[in-house]
Amino acid sequence: MPNANIYRPIRTEVLEVIPETPTIKTLRLKPEEPLSFKTGQFIELTVPGVGESPFTPSSRPSVKDIIEVTVMRVGKVTEKIHQLKKGDIVGLRGPFGNGYPLEEFKGKEILVVGGGCGFAPLRSLMYSFFEMSGEFKKLFFRGGCKNSQEFLYKEELAQWSKRKDLDIELTVDKGDSEWKGSVGVVTVIIDSAEMNYKTGIAIVCGPPIMMKFATKKLLDMGFKEENTYLSMEKNMSCGLGKCGHCRLGTYYACKDGPVFRYDKIKNFHEIWD
Amino acid sequence: MTYISERNFNKLLEILKKDYNVYVPVKKGLQRFYKRYEEPSDDILVNEVRPVEPLKIFFTRSRENVAQGFKPESPHALDKPFAIVGVKACDLKGFKIQDFVFSAKGGSDSGGKNHDYPDASYNKNREQNLVIGADCTCAIDTCFCLALGIKPYPKEDYDINLSGLKGGFAVEAGSEKGRALLNRHSGLFEKAKETHEQEKNRQRDVVTKEVQANIEKYSIPHQDLYNGIVERNYEGPIWSDEVKACVECGACTIICPTCHCFLLYDQMDKDQMARMRIWDSCMFKGYAKVAGGANPRPKLFMRLRNRFEKKFDFFPKVANIYACTGCGRCVSACPAKIDIRKVLKRLVSNA
Repeated sequence: MPNANIYRPIRTEVLEVIPETPTIKTLRLKPEEPLSFKTGQFIELTVPGVGESPFTPSSRPSVKDIIEVTVMRVGKVTEKIHQLKKGDIVGLRGPFGNGYPLEEFKGKEILVVGGGCGFAPLRSLMYSFFEMSGEFKKLFFRGGCKNSQEFLYKEELAQWSKRKDLDIELTVDKGDSEWKGSVGVVTVIIDSAEMNYKTGIAIVCGPPIMMKFATKKLLDMGFKEENTYLSMEKNMSCGLGKCGHCRLGTYYACKDGPVFRYDKIKNFHEIWD
Repeated sequence: MTYISERNFNKLLEILKKDYNVYVPVKKGLQRFYKRYEEPSDDILVNEVRPVEPLKIFFTRSRENVAQGFKPESPHALDKPFAIVGVKACDLKGFKIQDFVFSAKGGSDSGGKNHDYPDASYNKNREQNLVIGADCTCAIDTCFCLALGIKPYPKEDYDINLSGLKGGFAVEAGSEKGRALLNRHSGLFEKAKETHEQEKNRQRDVVTKEVQANIEKYSIPHQDLYNGIVERNYEGPIWSDEVKACVECGACTIICPTCHCFLLYDQMDKDQMARMRIWDSCMFKGYAKVAGGANPRPKLFMRLRNRFEKKFDFFPKVANIYACTGCGRCVSACPAKIDIRKVLKRLVSNA
């Protein structure tokens, strides 16, 4: 559509607001025009008159009419997003970027490593994996959070732990009386995944510092750079590779990412900053 | 080649006024500025050198409404397209970058794979605006276009071009739109004489030598020597040396004919959202900062380095072009006297 307005959001209704933690909520959104995405692609969510912020949907891409985003309250726009209620009108643009190359993962052993808010895009990815169950050799999930209250999707994580097609382990930076799992940063539980690291796929999503150390650890364990997929957090604004803000070396995170193979970006400056 | 007398050129401006918002360069003091053409006046100056404002102001406004509420159409407030008169070769090179970013490709080395997002408003301006180029008839101290592979006279990307001669202009069409314009008003033009051609070439040689003299005076390296200069000096002291006096005003990027960065800013207009596309600058502290708080370039020297990386590393890699036109505007505009010519010289010599 050459005459389409690339800056225009699609009118979208807020169907439900689900509190996850004191600072994180999940919104169920229904756009008035179809907007289907591949897992790992992101959208721009507009609060009319306030501004726009990028989020990777946390819901299944196979559900075409409803999109869920999980939002941490950190700035001007997310503050307003947290005040939204059922029935409010917002805007959506997208989807943008490349998403995860699911086809290339078929027949392989896959290790998914998540930290904190990084669980949001990974939830969408995990549901995509579950829907393709049987097409992968083995699936591992290793997730970490500051403390047990900070986990997103607690009930779903409990259900995931019962799945036969998934090996899941969680850790918290700081333990408490309710927490029965491991204590320590996520890097300490990565190597409990029993798989062939040399041929396996690693997928990492989380805060920059966690990404940095998890990637280092994965490479030390023997994962190949070209089998290590990172979700890069940059200041994506237009989503179109035009506004300039999210440049990462010769790429724009918004259109060439946000998912990058480590070997494609390892020589760039500022990747962990 | 054709010729138009000054008298007929004034008639042409009057004709263009009907279909276009005509902008002409005028001289105020020592500098030249674009001014809306209303009627013939003595301060109109097609020749000499580039005006203070970069050409991009006629293609992406510094602050432009790009979406109204959820309406699918692009708001386009202008009643008539622009006819921009007297555009110099350095500004025309800016199109190479601006087109790469806004027209379709989106600008990075994944090019082409399902990533075509044309900016409808930009493309409409590109299609409808009329660009009347002009040879430089002199150089000013900050001119160094030759170093960036440009001559001080337009060779492409114009609709028609004017070469200033005594009493008139030699005229060349550079596009279908330009040829149609010449045909439509053929009564205003006459066949150029051989002496016109000679005068034009003589003039071009004179100005080229003036720019060459600038390049020698300031020892400005040629772009053939730019390959890898930013990467080679990435950890060097040059960035913190050169940025010392920077006040982070953003003038260097606002005034640059190739800089294209913008931010999207939403506001309420009556009862609906008005989304503004506003020029931004990579020299501003918050430019690359993410909501979570991380900022890849918290220090000013990193942002200066990034500005050069974008111009002299990113664009040559993704679009095979250096994003500098040698117009020298950033040299004149910088209150801290940061001089791109000096930075290039230091980068090339690893000093």
